[in-house]
Amino acid sequence: MPWEDWLKGRRARRETGNRVAPEIIRRTSSSSDKRLRKLFNGERGLPFKKTEEL
Amino acid sequence: MPRRPSLQLPSALDNPPRSAKVTIVNPEKIQAALADITAENDPTLKHLKLASLVSAVFREHGVELVVVGGSAIEFYTEGAYVSGDLDLCVDDKGNRPSARLRQELMGALGAKGGPRSWQVGGLYVDLLGNLENLAQTSMRRIKAQYGEIRICPVEELMVERILSSHYPNDFPSDLECAKKILAAALMDEVEVDWTEVRRLAESPAYNNWNRVKELTDEEATTLQIRSPYDSER
Repeated sequence: MPWEDWLKGRRARRETGNRVAPEIIRRTSSSSDKRLRKLFNGERGLPFKKTEEL
Repeated sequence: MPRRPSLQLPSALDNPPRSAKVTIVNPEKIQAALADITAENDPTLKHLKLASLVSAVFREHGVELVVVGGSAIEFYTEGAYVSGDLDLCVDDKGNRPSARLRQELMGALGAKGGPRSWQVGGLYVDLLGNLENLAQTSMRRIKAQYGEIRICPVEELMVERILSSHYPNDFPSDLECAKKILAAALMDEVEVDWTEVRRLAESPAYNNWNRVKELTDEEATTLQIRSPYDSER
């Protein structure tokens, strides 16, 4: 599948997922916590784009 | 209204001959790619771009990598699930990289650490060993900027995540994850072989068919569509 086609479907996929679960479902902890929080200023990863920004 | 692009099962055209090597991997292009990846602040794009670059570098040495875990789930669902780890496995159809080769290739990317986990491009890359994949469906593939990315079959991810959501104990974050995969599949955002899902779920490796069917039916009801397993009621 071309990259562009995947990009085009991002917002629709997010909106579908939002119908069955919270928008953000990143785990709040894991065995990688220490290194992740150090790399991402106390978070476990980069902030997600909002649905309307996709 | 145009149909939304569905993440489809690959056709023969998506399977180039093994001799079709990626040729982007030279130091200048690697540096340009790393600059792009490091500057990328969308976590999903950052993961897939880095997966594309790492896959291309390993592919030149006959090693095929497969995106698994949270990054694969993100690819299929846009589920806002992924953290700062990019999880990759080695496809046993290619060569198995030695520790020295892994260090050499990741070193070419300026990665720190190893021999199974490195920091590069503002993420951690974990190479988790050989792929555990019982699905008979093909890897999904995406032609990304720096080379093709192979993604663990969605059927396997779905059954696996449903298992970890309830066995041996309830695990709510994996349940939310499983629901998002199911929703993407039920709404045709991603093409799924539902017969293969059932086969996997009934296999001794998972043995969770009842839960898979129950959750599929529940999510279909939530989405007000017909479950693919409706006729079995």
